[in-house]
Amino acid sequence: MSDNKQVVADIDRSLYDFKDVETEAEFYRMEEGLTEETVLKVSEEKNDPEWMRDFRLKCLKLYEEIKMPNWGPSIEGLDMDRISSYVRHKSDMKGKWEDVPEDIKNTFEKLGIPQAERESLAGVGAQYDSELVYHNVKDEVAAQGVIYTDLESALHGEYADMIKEHFMKLVPPTDHKFAALHGAVWSGGSFVYVPKGVKVDIPLQSYFRLNAAGAGQFEHTLIIVDEGADLHFIEGCSAPKYNVANLHAGCVELFVGKGARLRYSTIENWSKNMYNLNTKRAVVEEGGIMEWVSGSFGSHTSYLYPMTILKGNNSKMEFTGITFAGKGQNLDTGAKVVHIGEGTSSSISTKSISKDGGIGTYRSSVTIQKTAKKAKASVSCDSLMLDSISRADTIPAMDIRTNDADVGHEAKIGRISDDAIFYLMSRGISEEDARAMIVSGFANPVSKELPLEYAVEMNNLIKLEMSGH
Amino acid sequence: MSRDLNMKVNVLPVYTYNFLKVNDSTIDAEDINIDSLVGPEVKELPDGVSLRSGISFDEAGEIFRANKEKILFTTGVPGDPNGDTSFRDEEQAVRTGMGIDVDKLFIEAGAKADIYTVDEGKKVEKPVILRFDMENGKGMLASQVIHARKDSEVTVIMDYSSQDKEAAGFLGVSTRILAEEGARVNLVKTQLLGNQYIHFDDIGGACFENGAIRLITLELGALKAWNGCYINLVGKQSDFTSDTGYYCAGEDNLDINFVADHRGKKTNALMQFKGVLMGNAQKTLRFTIDFKNGSSGSVGDEQEDTLLLSEDVVNRTMPIILCQEEDVDGRHGATIGQLGEDVLFYMQTRGIDEEEAKRIMIKARLDSVARLIPDEELKQRVQYFIQNIA
Repeated sequence: MSDNKQVVADIDRSLYDFKDVETEAEFYRMEEGLTEETVLKVSEEKNDPEWMRDFRLKCLKLYEEIKMPNWGPSIEGLDMDRISSYVRHKSDMKGKWEDVPEDIKNTFEKLGIPQAERESLAGVGAQYDSELVYHNVKDEVAAQGVIYTDLESALHGEYADMIKEHFMKLVPPTDHKFAALHGAVWSGGSFVYVPKGVKVDIPLQSYFRLNAAGAGQFEHTLIIVDEGADLHFIEGCSAPKYNVANLHAGCVELFVGKGARLRYSTIENWSKNMYNLNTKRAVVEEGGIMEWVSGSFGSHTSYLYPMTILKGNNSKMEFTGITFAGKGQNLDTGAKVVHIGEGTSSSISTKSISKDGGIGTYRSSVTIQKTAKKAKASVSCDSLMLDSISRADTIPAMDIRTNDADVGHEAKIGRISDDAIFYLMSRGISEEDARAMIVSGFANPVSKELPLEYAVEMNNLIKLEMSGH
Repeated sequence: MSRDLNMKVNVLPVYTYNFLKVNDSTIDAEDINIDSLVGPEVKELPDGVSLRSGISFDEAGEIFRANKEKILFTTGVPGDPNGDTSFRDEEQAVRTGMGIDVDKLFIEAGAKADIYTVDEGKKVEKPVILRFDMENGKGMLASQVIHARKDSEVTVIMDYSSQDKEAAGFLGVSTRILAEEGARVNLVKTQLLGNQYIHFDDIGGACFENGAIRLITLELGALKAWNGCYINLVGKQSDFTSDTGYYCAGEDNLDINFVADHRGKKTNALMQFKGVLMGNAQKTLRFTIDFKNGSSGSVGDEQEDTLLLSEDVVNRTMPIILCQEEDVDGRHGATIGQLGEDVLFYMQTRGIDEEEAKRIMIKARLDSVARLIPDEELKQRVQYFIQNIA
């Protein structure tokens, strides 16, 4: 018991929950609500090219037309009239941490981002509310021709045509209501281009911090990994807790070229007043590999199903995810995959934990089109219920349109075995510690896919949730 | 008689992505043609079973309404949590797999139900056999209530068949079951209708403490078929076991929705589906294990094994597990694909060519369900039917 207290004491919740007061003198905050005027204001702030301004207006119209989803967790508590779509610090984005405004720099220092950059990353982008405040890529990586920049700069620079060609083509604004919303008010995010054959040995990371209360964050991440190239991209997110609803409706579009490989890792720890309605999608060309590693710990309500389109022959996808739904949380997560090319293969493996009244739902779809001869798909989802006031649902779907496919699916739902707890307790471990150990073991297939420091962070988050803090 | 009404049936207990088009299914009004509003007469009523015929569909649900507090359960309000649809069918006397639109069809058409009541403590040895000999061009609605009183046991066999293999027509059946404390109902449904028939079969049941429902279903004929089954496991240690075999070829379309609703402690459900898809056939299978709060110690298992034998088939599967109870064990497994190369290779080493190997595997899958039929004559007829389609 005393050991457990020690462990909990070691993890400081204030690591994520601290908040900085945003004053009018330093921050520009757009009025709440969503109208044509606010969309045009965002566009003006961003100095959009004409096509983007028109695109935003088209998206706004779609947002107004598209109905709310009739499935998934309730999002009635989200009132767009109380959400500010755009909040930014009045200073510009910097290329050196020293130049970042002191209060914002402190935030990222507390989150350990500059230290991580020094020790283990090839480049970092840091977004604070609606804008990137810092972006940098190591010289040796830049020398390989890797582009890692904020999306707004890319929109005006030599990659402008590439952005126009790819932006919201994979996730069209017609996809769902919040994709349309994203298209209307998107701001911030990163653009990554890895040229043909370039292998980036150490990961790039973007960190998103939403500090403002009653605000939305709508960053757009666009990554193109060209033929034969290799990249690991890490995304982190957190926010302090407020009593009003915050909204995250980001969009991630990933293009994996022929024979290329992209690993996209996320540790999501938004505060528990966040509506996380995020859309992530990848298209993979011949022989390409897409790997997702996803940890969902935060948010009040989540809709998150990274989707992979296996377009090229022999392309592959692996999804490894964990979701921990605690008190007051309704986390609806999973993955979607569409097999189009011949010989494509996908593997989805998820773990879900529900505790203290939390609702964890695993939702997925595996679609095998007629063209996807010799496709292989396997799905494995395990749910762990830690008490009887929580809820764990498993809602998978398979749509198979060729006989020449091999599809396997396994799902299990259950609780921690009394025998396992008894065994550990007979070895002198407290019941609480035994339960935490078993849950960590349950999560192990996910944590082993993460770089060490992120695996440690994830295990700390699990311990934190298990201790009920 | 034609009805101007499309029916929304087989609604998922929780909605999911709309693009999959699996949240529900529609029976077009033009598919429903009714000549007869009563089912066939039972040829021989075994001792211990009494029959009340010609009861209105609504009135026949009285036994369920009398136990409404035990049986009816609505988990949520519209849309919350997670797209719960249970509110939709709460007007039904007992929830069924296909849902309230089937009840409405029977009530509005004025269809009659037969109520079979099994005496308390009576283990009925001979089965109740209902033969539906469906002629070409005919349409029928038929409804039964099977009420097994405490500690009784009964087997009911429903045999739907057409003399003419090419026969067209319509057959809609609703079967509602109550297995009281310690009672057991074995229900066998074999569908060997003509290959142009439109057919639906809707089942709703409730089991009290130690009550059990055993269901064996074979869907082998018809052009379009809908199958629904919702079993309320309300009493402690109640049990639902089902084995379903199906065969869809040509332009066949089969749409299934099974739900095991665990509410009592230590309840048990096992749902197994084995089938074959050929030609341009389409099949949608939704099956749900729902562990409600209070169902501690319960076990639910759903298994699917589907053999795909044509490149033009469409197979949709929705294996759902809903869980609001910590102390449960729920699992699902599915194997979907063509004949494995290792099986084919083995067969070939024994001098069996690919076509023959396929025939053997079709037969093996369907036979594994057919051999569970407790009536020897029907079993042989079904096996002969399987032999011919394979």
